[in-house]
Amino acid sequence: MASRIVKKSALRLGQNLFRAQSTMSAFELQHKTPVIKKITSIPIALYGGRNAVTMLPGGGIGPELMSYVKEVFKYAGAPVDFEIVDIDAKAEDNIDLEYAITSIKRNGVAIKGNIETKSKSSEVLSRNVAIRNELDLYVNILHVKSYPGVPARQKDIDIVIIRQNTEGEYAMLEHESIDGVVESMKVVTESNSERVARFAFEWAKANGRKKITTIHKANIMKLSDGLFLDTSQKIAKEYPEIEHNEMIIDNCCMQLVSKPHQFDVMIMTNLYGSIVSNVVCGLIGGAGLLSGKNYGDHYAIFEPATRNTGKAIAGKNVANPIAMLSASVDMLEHLGHNQHAKMIQRAIYKTVCEDKIHTPDLGGTATSTDVVQKIIDHILQSDIRPW
Amino acid sequence: MAVRARNVSKLLSKVINGVPKGQIRQLSAEPAEIESRPDFRTTCTMIPGDGVGPELMYSVQEVFKAAGVPVDFEAYFFSEVNPTLSAPLEKVAESISRNRVCLKGILATPDYSHTGELQTLNMKLRNALDLYANVVHVKSLEGVKLRHSGIDCVIIREQTEGEYSALEHEGVKGVVECLKIVTAKKSQRIAKFAFDYATKNGRKRVTAVHKANIMKLGDGLFLRSCEEIAKLYPKIEFEKMIVDNCTMQMVSNPQQFDVMVTPNLYGNIVDNLASGLVGGAGVVAGASYSANCVVFEPGARHTYSEAVGKNVANPTAMLLCAAKMLRHVNLPRYGDMIRSAIEKVLKDGKVKTKDVGGQSTTQQFTYAVINNLDIPKA
Repeated sequence: MASRIVKKSALRLGQNLFRAQSTMSAFELQHKTPVIKKITSIPIALYGGRNAVTMLPGGGIGPELMSYVKEVFKYAGAPVDFEIVDIDAKAEDNIDLEYAITSIKRNGVAIKGNIETKSKSSEVLSRNVAIRNELDLYVNILHVKSYPGVPARQKDIDIVIIRQNTEGEYAMLEHESIDGVVESMKVVTESNSERVARFAFEWAKANGRKKITTIHKANIMKLSDGLFLDTSQKIAKEYPEIEHNEMIIDNCCMQLVSKPHQFDVMIMTNLYGSIVSNVVCGLIGGAGLLSGKNYGDHYAIFEPATRNTGKAIAGKNVANPIAMLSASVDMLEHLGHNQHAKMIQRAIYKTVCEDKIHTPDLGGTATSTDVVQKIIDHILQSDIRPW
Repeated sequence: MAVRARNVSKLLSKVINGVPKGQIRQLSAEPAEIESRPDFRTTCTMIPGDGVGPELMYSVQEVFKAAGVPVDFEAYFFSEVNPTLSAPLEKVAESISRNRVCLKGILATPDYSHTGELQTLNMKLRNALDLYANVVHVKSLEGVKLRHSGIDCVIIREQTEGEYSALEHEGVKGVVECLKIVTAKKSQRIAKFAFDYATKNGRKRVTAVHKANIMKLGDGLFLRSCEEIAKLYPKIEFEKMIVDNCTMQMVSNPQQFDVMVTPNLYGNIVDNLASGLVGGAGVVAGASYSANCVVFEPGARHTYSEAVGKNVANPTAMLLCAAKMLRHVNLPRYGDMIRSAIEKVLKDGKVKTKDVGGQSTTQQFTYAVINNLDIPKA
């Protein structure tokens, strides 16, 4: 495997030639269309200092969380206008989905909840995956950091999980050639593996991180995960100042629950990323606290870290609003509205860590609206009014 | 493709700017101190302009004082007809880009250039700040009786290129060529602005105004760019109209228009035409947008220099601009307060300036607005 990569040493981040896989939609991939799609970037919607941002509330608790975001933004005076796009979970076509993708392309940035796909038809794509693939959001970053004051199994965790977001097990290539035998393809490409590894190392360098761990299962999937591992090892050589090691996914999960402090930055393929994110979120207090960021070359989407719909608690006013609000803070930072981001972030921190206003998922008794109200109170007390 | 590693570089730049590790994340143990501003007040650049501009700005300041609006003005005398007293362009541009909002009167532009300079001061300011989109919301006001009622259209005008490129020359004596520049980039940008405006404000239709049947390449490019962008907005109806037909429709059946997107000169004409339909230069507010700042100025650009010092100009347009500015800087409470006061005064119809058929003075109108301010009791 390694020799194969060395031969193709010309591979470099940003070469058009190698971008084909991830910029193709799942539908195109499925039908083996050899057309390489070129993304022409449209300038993002920023007028007079105000950004337009696509908001995809999604299903379950999504809409209520989004209403909290809007409420907090109103009081914080964040210069953001939301374009709300609802996707009908029951729809048997992709019209809403296409509109949502167009809208993100126009605005450049989106904040989203988890979108349900109820249809069992293979024609109807999984909306979440389709959005990521279509916009080529090849990397997902999740910064897991413990909140002091929140009851959790492990204290003082500070791990960054960087996940390949568009291929691997989520390539949506499944078929049943013979009755009773289903094959599901896991696609790993050099170009995408390299982009993720490069992103991770650049990010680590920029944020003063010391160590990167590649998570894989190359002992079983020698070719696919082998390629991913080889690529990250190759990139690691270009960053001698950052320590690089590897770990097998099963061992990684065990280490995470027993000794999580050994990890710094982790990179992994799609499915492992999904699992590990959920494991780590569970360690520090559940799905309601953390936010994740999806980046591509042109677009960015912000969402709660663990992609759960939370249907069971929808409408009961108990969902934890912190995850979505953190996602909105990430979004404001990305848009460069740092003052507003800091103001909201500080309000969240005070509410969760100092006032200890917690929803039931963190062992508290407060309702969602209590938490939001407290955050708004802190925002109103803050000593500045940026606009 | 140059923005390939945009996100990476974004992250990198944060470090270059010297932000230590802990502060980048939202949950550092000790939250970063917000850079403190002295108080809650907002600063706005003010350019009174020529003609009655200073009188109108005085009216705005009176109303702001009465309403207790927490806005400070940074005033600059900026004029082309009075160059010796004018503040330098760089200084004014710097102030606007710092404050990100500006309230501006109208700058007079002489018909003939004595210095050989083709660009007017207005154009220079727009180019310096890249104020590419001019938005004029033309809306019938209750209490101003005119031929048409129920007009509610938005005219969005590209104002950095086209006929206003200031490229004219006389190659052969007696033959002057004036270049009209149309670029795909700027045409798409204004089209996207128009559609984004329509999306944000819940508008249904965008009309592109052009003359592509004659200027097949220039206006053709503008029209094609609009068509291209329109495809990204399947929920908004797109139609095109030739500028001559558009002006006729405008005076006969103006209610049919929703959002209009136009190149530079047509926009200028249509702006003035539409303003005339709802009461003239004294009652229509407009705004010019760049990516980061907004300049609020009356929609129909007329200095009304014949009325200087006579205390008869209508301050409605400038007050509406100020109200829009307040909404923009997150003071919607004050903005709405001033707007509804103006609407009330106009509706009552007791205090009207000359241009809308009354006998009151600027000052009387201003006081009437102040008296109608619904100031909440503390």
